[in-house]
Amino acid sequence: MNPHEELLDAVAVYALGALPKSEAATVRAHLRTCAQCRAEYDSLRPAVDALALSAEACTDGRTGPVPSQLLKARLLRTVRQESSAPAPRAQGRLSWPGLVVAAAAIMLAVWTTVSNLMLRSDLSSDRDQLAQLHTQIVGANRRVAAQKIMIADVMNADAKHFPVSGGEVIRRNDRLYIAMHGMPPPPKGHVYQAWTQSNGAQKMSPSITFAPDRSGVALVYVPVNAATIAAVAVSVEPEGGSKAPTTKPEFVVKLS
Amino acid sequence: MEDASRLMARVRKRDGAAFESLYDAYHRLIYGIALRILGDVPAAEDVTQAVFLKLWSSPELFEKGNFGAWIGRVTRNRCLDVVRSRALRPQSEMPETMPADDALEDTAFASLDAAFVRSAVARLPDEQRKPIELGFFGALTHEEIARQTGVPLGTIKTRIRTGLRKLRAQLDGVVTA
Repeated sequence: MNPHEELLDAVAVYALGALPKSEAATVRAHLRTCAQCRAEYDSLRPAVDALALSAEACTDGRTGPVPSQLLKARLLRTVRQESSAPAPRAQGRLSWPGLVVAAAAIMLAVWTTVSNLMLRSDLSSDRDQLAQLHTQIVGANRRVAAQKIMIADVMNADAKHFPVSGGEVIRRNDRLYIAMHGMPPPPKGHVYQAWTQSNGAQKMSPSITFAPDRSGVALVYVPVNAATIAAVAVSVEPEGGSKAPTTKPEFVVKLS
Repeated sequence: MEDASRLMARVRKRDGAAFESLYDAYHRLIYGIALRILGDVPAAEDVTQAVFLKLWSSPELFEKGNFGAWIGRVTRNRCLDVVRSRALRPQSEMPETMPADDALEDTAFASLDAAFVRSAVARLPDEQRKPIELGFFGALTHEEIARQTGVPLGTIKTRIRTGLRKLRAQLDGVVTA
């Protein structure tokens, strides 16, 4: 193979995003001066972009993974606070840590505005800081709100309880929970992972990973539309979770 | 749906409704990529949230071109950050800013669906599909792919290029149809 063919191969690996940074810098510099390699890169890059599309979750929301319905609500709550459109009135009251963080966010916003007027080149970094602070606020509010909803759901008289060994699976409306007590800690380097089977599906889909607290208690929200789920299982998996169960399930329960 | 570039222009003006439209149109793509690479629901949700917050806080990062392709690259790079923090091993990243003159237009990209692309990828010979998927979704460098598969590095690079060219040819068939 001639040296330029080797370069063209390297260009393909660069387009795929699989070159180490040092080699990527070399290829990037070469692309600026070599029309043939640049044409190859321009030709292959749409194929790589399409690869990403192949991972898109199924649009019906039943046979493919979709993020928690709470995610959109959290994001829009953040956005509406800054939106140019009239913001809706805040519902509920923030706890004092939330107020402190919110005050800090406002101060940071004011500081950011003044700094931008003085030094516009700082715009991007300022916004990054603000985004990070927003992420912290959203995270804190998310945990509190999620816990309130979980407790309300689990205690609600309308909730349906499906007993399993060492706990129960609880469904209320479109939300699903796993509540365990006396659950042993998973082996080192492992976690518990929930699996859900959609109505009519043949296989289990991977869901959230979790571990019980020191007293063996775990109350876990399973991010699915519970109305579409026929069965739930939990197994022990390596940290980070698995795409398919690798151990015998701790339990499998049908939600009917 | 309104064109993504126009929605991003409205997001630059702090239009929350435009942001919501972008979320509705692209959250499945972003979450799907993150879940495929990270294999972890909470981490995939965190990445999805971080990508959308970044869109809102720094909309100027998207300059022009194919929004779906761009946001896919942004998402993958964010996932690689997570992989790096987990594994502490060297990784590559995808070029986000270099424009591709021959990139598929937004309308062409929109005409593709996930099922078609999955089918097109599945039609590739295993020896080409596997290194492509390990590089893109497995977040491995070409050297790591060579080690993992036991195939010489030069062969891996050639197979990646050949596979991508075949994939591009299949996409052209759809786009021009």
